[in-house]
Amino acid sequence: MPHGLPVACPNKDFRFKNFADGSRVDQLDPNGERHYPSPVGRINIQLVCIYICSSLVKELGGPRKMVLQRRLLCTKNHHKWSVKQVTKSNFSESLDDIKTHISNSDFVAVSLQKTGSFSAPWHRVLPFDTADTAYSKAKYAADRFQLLQFAVCPFSIRASKVLAHPYNFHLFPRDELKIGMPSYSFSCQTSYLTSMAQEGFDFNVCIYDGISYLSRSQESTAKDRIGNPIPTKHEMKSSSTLSVADAVFIERIKSRIRHWINACTDTSKRTNEALVSSLRKLVLGSEEYGSRPCMNIDICSERQVQLTLEMLGDISDDLVPLKIPAKGGGTQAVRVILTSSKEDKDLLERELQNLEEEQNKRVRGFREVIDLISASQKPVVSHNSLNDFTFIHSKFLAPLPPNMDDFMCSLRMVFPHVLDVNHLLKEIGPMKKVINLPAAISYLKRRFSVPIDMELPHQAKANEGKIHGHNVLRISHLFAKLCSILKINPSTPQSDSGYLASALEGYANIFNPCSTSPQEANDGDIRVWANNTRKVSCEDVVFLWGFRGGMSAGILKRMLQESHDVFSEEFDVRLVDKNCAIIVFWQPGLSDIFLEVMDSGEISGSLREMVAEGLRGAGYETYKRVCRLGLWEAELSDSLDKALADHCLLEAGSEKNPSVIYWNSDSIINLGDL
Amino acid sequence: MNKQYSVRALSRALTLSSHTFCSTTPSSSSSTFPLKNVTKSNFESSLEDLRRHVRASDFVAVDLEMTGITSAPWRESFEFDRFDVRYLKVKDSAEKFAVVQFGVCPFRWDSSKQSFVAHPHNFYIFPRQELPVNGPSYEFLCQTTSIDFLAKYQFDFNACIHEGVSYLSRGQEDEALRHLDLAYEDELSESWRNLKEIKDIPLVSMADILFTERMKNRFSEWRNGLLRERNEGAQFQGSSNDSKQQLQTIFFKMHPALTLNGFTSHQLRLIQLVTKKHFDDLVYVRVSGENSCLQQLIVYTDSTDEKDLLMKEVKDGLRREAEMKIKAAVGFRHVIDLLSSEEKLIVGHNCFLDIAHIYSKFLGPLPLTAEEFVSSVHKCFPYITDTKVLLNANSVLQHLMKKNSTSLSNAFALLCPQIASNFKNSGLAFKPCVKVEVQVDDMRSSNWNSGAKHEAGYDAFMTGCVFAQACNHLGINFKTHSPSRNLVSNEKLQKHVNHLYLSWTNGDIIDLTTGKKTAESLGSVNHKKRYPNILFSNIVLVWGFPSTLKAREIRELISKVFGPNSVTSIYHLDDTAVFVQFNNAELVSKFLVLKETLDRNNDPISVLHPLSKLLEGGNTRAASYEIYKEICSSPISKVLFADQAEAIGYKWKTKLIEPKEEGETQGNKCFSKENGQLNTVSDSADKSDTGERNDETDLSYCMP
Repeated sequence: MPHGLPVACPNKDFRFKNFADGSRVDQLDPNGERHYPSPVGRINIQLVCIYICSSLVKELGGPRKMVLQRRLLCTKNHHKWSVKQVTKSNFSESLDDIKTHISNSDFVAVSLQKTGSFSAPWHRVLPFDTADTAYSKAKYAADRFQLLQFAVCPFSIRASKVLAHPYNFHLFPRDELKIGMPSYSFSCQTSYLTSMAQEGFDFNVCIYDGISYLSRSQESTAKDRIGNPIPTKHEMKSSSTLSVADAVFIERIKSRIRHWINACTDTSKRTNEALVSSLRKLVLGSEEYGSRPCMNIDICSERQVQLTLEMLGDISDDLVPLKIPAKGGGTQAVRVILTSSKEDKDLLERELQNLEEEQNKRVRGFREVIDLISASQKPVVSHNSLNDFTFIHSKFLAPLPPNMDDFMCSLRMVFPHVLDVNHLLKEIGPMKKVINLPAAISYLKRRFSVPIDMELPHQAKANEGKIHGHNVLRISHLFAKLCSILKINPSTPQSDSGYLASALEGYANIFNPCSTSPQEANDGDIRVWANNTRKVSCEDVVFLWGFRGGMSAGILKRMLQESHDVFSEEFDVRLVDKNCAIIVFWQPGLSDIFLEVMDSGEISGSLREMVAEGLRGAGYETYKRVCRLGLWEAELSDSLDKALADHCLLEAGSEKNPSVIYWNSDSIINLGDL
Repeated sequence: MNKQYSVRALSRALTLSSHTFCSTTPSSSSSTFPLKNVTKSNFESSLEDLRRHVRASDFVAVDLEMTGITSAPWRESFEFDRFDVRYLKVKDSAEKFAVVQFGVCPFRWDSSKQSFVAHPHNFYIFPRQELPVNGPSYEFLCQTTSIDFLAKYQFDFNACIHEGVSYLSRGQEDEALRHLDLAYEDELSESWRNLKEIKDIPLVSMADILFTERMKNRFSEWRNGLLRERNEGAQFQGSSNDSKQQLQTIFFKMHPALTLNGFTSHQLRLIQLVTKKHFDDLVYVRVSGENSCLQQLIVYTDSTDEKDLLMKEVKDGLRREAEMKIKAAVGFRHVIDLLSSEEKLIVGHNCFLDIAHIYSKFLGPLPLTAEEFVSSVHKCFPYITDTKVLLNANSVLQHLMKKNSTSLSNAFALLCPQIASNFKNSGLAFKPCVKVEVQVDDMRSSNWNSGAKHEAGYDAFMTGCVFAQACNHLGINFKTHSPSRNLVSNEKLQKHVNHLYLSWTNGDIIDLTTGKKTAESLGSVNHKKRYPNILFSNIVLVWGFPSTLKAREIRELISKVFGPNSVTSIYHLDDTAVFVQFNNAELVSKFLVLKETLDRNNDPISVLHPLSKLLEGGNTRAASYEIYKEICSSPISKVLFADQAEAIGYKWKTKLIEPKEEGETQGNKCFSKENGQLNTVSDSADKSDTGERNDETDLSYCMP
């Protein structure tokens, strides 16, 4: 194919032809018109040709120089992207910017920089995990580790163009309000910190100037503890009858307030010297709120608060009440501020409102951004959503609920549409497990040629040289590519909030990294997505440990084959970590027989020897219990032992809940992999 | 950061000049140079210097900066900590948090100058995983307030994480060497196994077969070329280089060899197979190349003996290299080994936690009991002195401290006013002081002060200065007799050596030589008793009650049942748990039995029972003090005590006391014997060292 010539496309409706073999790609916009190159576009056309050439050349088995050249061009392109870096100092201004960007965009991509993920090989989500065990693992990580960066990128897809506004927020859970929140302590994995350091991460910026935050549930606790005055509206008269005590209370307060107002408004005494005014302060309980006079009324009950508020409306329209919360919740006093006129009152009310907003900003910190995203109801795009959203839930919403279902419910109230690029990737290729972002990007590059331009309109003043938070751009880019490959039209008819393009709906809110559609995530009945993947019921899986260390799966299998009759049928052995293996019986029911045999005294032969040497086994239920109880030992075998010991004490009241997991002989869980 | 230091130090220097010095010759040299910061890049050279300085020194002061102190509020130091519980708390802290800065400051008496010479070193350390070890990843905890505290004092986190010196504990090093031995043995016995296994690999794809065939031809061509050239006596030429430098002829240990570049690991396996199968005189070896990356070679050998020799040589080389790597990974522990082997007097300030950190990071896992820990520490560091113990134990020094807090900066300001800049006229200026000169590389100063408080190197320097002055006040005259070698045997100091505060909060001192709590204790001039004697057998731990209940109410509820004087005191662990100290041990079991009965019977009568308010919500648990110890020994750390207890997974609601529990009664006896010496102190300045307690807990404490 001649270099640089546009490719003719006989079919107007398809932007891609024959993409299945990845060899021919036509670049036309959706109207079927030829795409006339802008300066950037030209690079893209060249890229397309290089793709094509290289794939052709590759097919002929020749050298791969072209591929290298292509990579070179692309990396150049990437380096032009710059992401707005946000710390404490420029947070306020950025908040206003991002607010507009979020409301003008169709999607919001997020990407998180954490201080760690899993502490032992088996703690990460493995192919044989069910939704619930996967969730337990993600929860365990989210509870312990911390976020240091949160990149947010509101973006829209217009034809083959991604309009993106990337921000990278530096976070640190500083106890700004001195109330022991948001986080008493957090864990760090040195390997994470080291690789962040290698990427040039500035820990000082993060710790000195990182933005703090409080989760929604922490905020409500905090408000009580800080005890800031809360502006209140004059309340409507309640119809309830007044008791004698109420009447006495009202009369007392009323006269006090009248006295105080008179004293304040009496102009003849305005020019008194300091002594007199301080005396008056003492006598009347009068204070100053800013430049306005105010006084505090002590309150014993919520009933009195209500009475006071009602009465204030009766006395004068110029009074503005504030509730002073008590330390342990409730109200300790009502502060009344006297304004000089209607205009002054409006002014004060505006002031109070601003003050509250300021206060909220201070308390919520970075969570304002989360609230903005949530309020916009825009679909959120992430990579590996289970990990990211357990973190988001635990740091910015509330402590994580104990199980996956509650988590999904709770999260859906805040983020109705969560899209996982990793899941979209599975739609186009035989990807069995979660793969990392660079691998996903290079996979797509290898297989498909989708010219997507990134356009970052507001980046002129962004600080150059910073390389953080680029992943969020990669996610947006990848998402656009995937939509294009999957022929999903990502823009909504009216880009109003709350609606997701119907084409995308089927891909939203899938959190199980090992399943493929929301239905599957729910009922646990999973379709086989590749020929070499067979589904297997949890009941046919047995965990085995206590064998000699350093044994390979192959040797173990051979030993088992010779040990007992149950192993005469087809079965598979994989190592989970160095001391624990998982056995899959392809014939249903054999796992129970095997476990029974292990427990009974009737074992013989080499199996008996192995058991005598310390071999132990347990069903999938035990593994589930390990995850549910959070027995996160470094070795899975220790955890299983603990769960068994625990179980012996308890009644065997585990409800059988047969679910199905994948058994994928391709995604081998071996040591090198873990 | 350095800029900041110099500015700070300069301003200090300016204020200094307006004060009177007790050193009569105010040094003309400016005192603005920074102390010695050590990171990865200058570690090797600094270690050699430090070795010299430590060997020549009379004592070495140390100080550590960590990423946190307590992993949960209820693990903070309380007056209600029994000896063994206190150790468990220290152990938990040392196991969970990382050390990020290590200050080492050797002090040497220079008799010609009649002054000490100090060499403050500030090591940035970071537990980077340098060796590939399978198993759990390296992980540590950060206490948010501690990190913030470090940030407040301009701690350079980038220097620590990017450039910090890594380390291996002795245990980790042994483990790594053991792995190496195993791998080495495997390699040796591999020759036959390899042959067998390689035969197992079937050539499945056509590509593999073609590739193998091509390689076979290439190698035999090359070998024949070698033999031909040799026979013809011609000069060997690297003429056979081809395939874009994939194969290149070089000499390896006097043998002609082909380098293999740009092959995939699968291809390399095939090549290995070809050589084994078809060429007796060619051998496939892996060596590390220039940039420490592995290089694969095909080497020609004349005979089998020669081949074996070569293989052994290569393997030994690889092993040596691996050993070097392990040695390099030992990193900062070389400093600890140095301190241990030189058997110098180690000086710290309130340093029990520091020693525990040193033990767990550089020696091995912390033992389960304080006694075992202390005896292992003693073997490794025979002489340790705690300046805080010293300051509180001696009446002369106590007089000097004038009931001021014995925090490090306070002690430094009071005892070493000539070095500390911001001293108020304490009248000390008339007393003889020990001069301290500071040397960093080639710079010397007799009134050095970097002023960087809470930087480990500077804190170590301050500690050493305080120690020198304290010794002087104890009557140890450095001037008349050279104290080197016999400082630890000086009888004025001897009785204070190896005594450390196990807990500053309740004044427990542990003797490192015996592992016992010392009865000697304090001069106790400035110690008020804030709490009555604590009898642990009288204590019930209650948690999970309604969060609105405060200490006073709980006390009232219990008093209603057991009488007005039944409760001695109530102490909040956190919002979810309290210690209730009863009048006598009998009430403890009575309370537990009653609670159990109430839990079991949910009839109207028990609802009306005064205690039902405490049991509201049905999550209230109660147990004896022993359970607190059990919970403290758990590796889990939840922020709230009730969550912690739940995470441990107790199934009971009330843990009744089994009659005559051996360990418990013993522990109590031991304690009550020493109650006479129990001192509780309030020293707000030192709370930062031992964990802060907020005012609420103090308020919630009820005295009868």
